[in-house]
Amino acid sequence: MTMTEERLDAAFAALADPTRRAIVSRLARGDATVGELAEPFDMSLPGISKHLKVLERSGLISRRRDAQFRPCHLEVDALDGALDWIGTNRDLWDERFDKLDALLADMRRPISPTGPPNRKERAHE
Amino acid sequence: MSEHDAVDAPDELRFSRVFDAPRELVFRCMIDPDHLTHFWGPAGVSAPRDRITVDARPGGVFETVMVNDADGSQYPTRAVYDEVREPELLAWTESSSGMQVTTEFVALGPDRTEVRIHQRFVPEALLAPEAQAGFLTALDRFEGYLGGLS
Repeated sequence: MTMTEERLDAAFAALADPTRRAIVSRLARGDATVGELAEPFDMSLPGISKHLKVLERSGLISRRRDAQFRPCHLEVDALDGALDWIGTNRDLWDERFDKLDALLADMRRPISPTGPPNRKERAHE
Repeated sequence: MSEHDAVDAPDELRFSRVFDAPRELVFRCMIDPDHLTHFWGPAGVSAPRDRITVDARPGGVFETVMVNDADGSQYPTRAVYDEVREPELLAWTESSSGMQVTTEFVALGPDRTEVRIHQRFVPEALLAPEAQAGFLTALDRFEGYLGGLS
């Protein structure tokens, strides 16, 4: 799955708030209603609902329309998309550094006695 | 996650690697297109020499095009240097993403250099006052949660 830049921004922005992160953490353990989500916070239901709307717009959570208490559901793929971005970035540097390591080893390999003579004049360039 | 990586501040990503080479040489590799072309692209991706532009001074551009070896797709990236202190520090900002990348070169010995990459991901949305809290630290923890889910 590739995530559009816009979607990624929305996911990171949604996760920038500690309350919303706590909500996502809670939902990672299973679906929950607004009432259940509000419980651990010193926050009104409308306050929690506001956070849920932001999370819903970012695509990180969804809410069932049919059920009476409309339980919230974590969209793991969307969260994975955000996490993938971080992982991809880490891999990029890891792979670059592997190549740089090889390049440095090449540059510093001593000239073999049977190889061409070292061109000493180049050291003064 | 390897031992080199850490998410040690709210909105930052850090990577580091130790190289068996003098600091001056490692620094040169990061600003010389003749060297960059050999390692700037990750595995399976090239960074053609003739498409790398480096003007290593504050306000100067750092442009590269990475080309996927398998399908030829291209990823041009443009950045502008914020700070250049040879041989200890390079800092640039990527124009499209607003990502700030700082590279520190720390001499651990005459032939040993630690390169520390420090990235700040600052899309527009995260500049809002409410967005000051740490999100990457939390995301790191989420990986644990999600690992248990799948």
